[in-house]
Amino acid sequence: MTVAQVQKKASLPQVAKAVFWSFLGIRKRRDYETDSVELKPQQVIIAGLIGAALLVFTLILLVRLVISKLV
Amino acid sequence: MSAVIDTHGHGHTDHDGHEHHPSGLMRWVTTTNHKDIGTMYLWFSFTMLLIGGVLALTIRAELFEPGLQIVNPEFFNQLTTMHGLIMVFGAIMPAFVGFANWQIPLMIGAPDMAFARMNNWSFWLLPVAALLLISSFFVPGGAPAAGWTIYAPLSLQMGPGMDLGIFALHIMGASSIMGSINIITTILNMRAPGMTLMKMPMFVWTWLITAYLLIAVMPVLAGAITMTLTDRHFGTSFFNAAGGGDPVMFQHIFWFFGHPEVYIMILPAFGIISQVIPAFARKPLFGYASMVYATSSIAILSFIVWAHHMFTVGLPTAGLLFFMYATMLIAVPTGVKVFNWLATMWQGSMTFETPMLFAVGFIFVFTMGGFTGLMLAIMPVDVQMQDTYYVVAHFHYVLVAGSLFAIFAGTYFWIPKWTGIMYDETLGKWHFWLSLVFFNVTFFPMHFLGLAGMPRRIPDYASQFTEFNQIASVGAFGFGLTQLLFLYIVLKCSVLRKGEKAPARPWEGADTLEWTHLPSPAPYHSFHEQPEVK
Repeated sequence: MTVAQVQKKASLPQVAKAVFWSFLGIRKRRDYETDSVELKPQQVIIAGLIGAALLVFTLILLVRLVISKLV
Repeated sequence: MSAVIDTHGHGHTDHDGHEHHPSGLMRWVTTTNHKDIGTMYLWFSFTMLLIGGVLALTIRAELFEPGLQIVNPEFFNQLTTMHGLIMVFGAIMPAFVGFANWQIPLMIGAPDMAFARMNNWSFWLLPVAALLLISSFFVPGGAPAAGWTIYAPLSLQMGPGMDLGIFALHIMGASSIMGSINIITTILNMRAPGMTLMKMPMFVWTWLITAYLLIAVMPVLAGAITMTLTDRHFGTSFFNAAGGGDPVMFQHIFWFFGHPEVYIMILPAFGIISQVIPAFARKPLFGYASMVYATSSIAILSFIVWAHHMFTVGLPTAGLLFFMYATMLIAVPTGVKVFNWLATMWQGSMTFETPMLFAVGFIFVFTMGGFTGLMLAIMPVDVQMQDTYYVVAHFHYVLVAGSLFAIFAGTYFWIPKWTGIMYDETLGKWHFWLSLVFFNVTFFPMHFLGLAGMPRRIPDYASQFTEFNQIASVGAFGFGLTQLLFLYIVLKCSVLRKGEKAPARPWEGADTLEWTHLPSPAPYHSFHEQPEVK
C-alpha cells in the first residue's frame, strides 16, 4: 500500500456503492480492500443512515403502491 | 492508545500466569483483570442457566399432562416470565460478555480491557440484579408474571415483585451499557499495531457491532420500564388506558428494544461460529468482508422490523405490509452468512472435534429456527400462529440451538487456552449428541402443537395435545440433565485440572493472536508488549 493510496479519499458514489452492497451483505475482495483503505468510518456511518432512510422510504412507497391496487 | 496501569508494579511479561495478584475471595471481588472478570461472567451465566433451567423443567413437568398437577396458574405465569428474563438477561447476554472479556483483548493483542475498573463494576452489578430478580419470588404477590415482555396492563397491576423486576432490569441494563462502552473503546483504541479494522477476527467484529446495538437500545428498555414504574407509583398514565394512556405504545417501545435484543443475543454467536469453522475446516473464513458487511446490515435492519412482534394488535394495513417486507429482507444477509460458513467448509480438510460439532449443529438447527422465523414474518401466517407453541419452538431454535450451542462451541474451543487443560473429547462428544437429540425431542414437537393451536403461557391444555407435550417434557428433562455433563467437563478442566496439558495451539487451523502468540493457559497478564500484525 502506497502513501498516495492511504491519503486518497473516497468519492460519494464509492461510499454509496459500499453501503449498498453492505445491505445485501456481499462484497468483492478487491472492492473491500479499496474500501478499507479509502473509506472513513464517519463516511460509512452517515451513508449507512442515509441508506437506511432510503430503504424505509422505498418500502413505504412499495406498500403504498400495493395498497392502492387493493382499494 | 489507552494505557492500562499495572497496579502490580510489573512491566515484564509473566510466564507462569499466576503471580502477584490477590488470592482467595478478594482476588475475585477486587479484580480488574479481564480474564478473571471473564471467568466470573461465565460462571455467573452458567449459574443463571441452571436456575432458569430449573424453572423451565418445572414448566415442562406441569405440562406433562393436561390439567393442573404441580403448580397453580398464577405461579405458572411467574415461571414462564422468570424463565425468560433469567435466560435472556442472566444467562445468554452475560455469557457473551464473558467471552468478550476473555477473548477480545487476547484476539486484538491488548493487555486488558480499556476501562479495567469499570469492567469490575459492570460484572458485580449483575449478581445484585440477579438477587433482586430472584427475590421477587418471595414478596407478596410473587415474581413478575406478565411474560418476559412485561406488557401493560398486566405489568401495571402486579405486586411489588414487578418493581423488583424493573429495578433488576435497570441494573442489568446499566451493566450492559458499561460493558459495551468498554468493549467499543478497547476495540477501537487498543488493537495491536497493524491490526486494521478489516483484519480483526470476526468474533471481535460481531462484538463491536453488538456493543453499538446495546448502547442504542438498552436506554430504550430503561425508558419503557421507568414509564411503567411511574405509571405504577407516581400517577402517570403512559400505558394505562383508564388514564388516557396506550398499552400498545408500551409494545412499540419494548419491541424497538426487543428486536435488536434478539440480534444482541445472536451476533456474538455468529462471531464464535465464524472462528470455529475456519479452524476445523483448515481454511480461511470464506467471504470475510461480506461477513462484516452482512453483520452490519443485520444490525441496521434490526431497527426497522420491531412491529412484526405486534401483527395482531390492530396495526393499519400499510404498517403490517411495511414490517412484513422489512422483516423478510433480513433473510438476505443471514442467508449470506450461512452460505459463507458452508463455503468455508467446502473442500476443507475437516475434523469434527466437539467445538466443530457444536458449530455444525448450530448451522443445521439455527437455520431451521431462521426458516420458521421467516414463516412468522409472513403476516397472514403470523396472525394464525402468534401466541402459540409455534412461536415458542421458533425462538428456542434460535436462542438454544443458536446462542447456547455457540456458547458451548466457544467454550470447548477456548477452554484449552483458558485453563491449559484439554477437555475430555469423548465426554464433549457425548454432550453434543445428547444435547442435539434432546433439544430436537423437546422443541420440534412444539411446532406441531403450535400449528394445531396450542396457546403458549397456559398451564393447562386440551387432551389432544397430550402426546406431543409428553415427548417435549421428556426431551426437556434429558436436555437439562445433559448440561450437568457439561458442568462436569468444565470443572474437570478448570477446578479438578485433570486431563492432558493443552499445547499453545491445539487447533492447527486456528490462527488468531491468542493461539499464535500466547502459551496455554494464557498468562495472567498478557500482551504487555503488543505484537505486530502483518
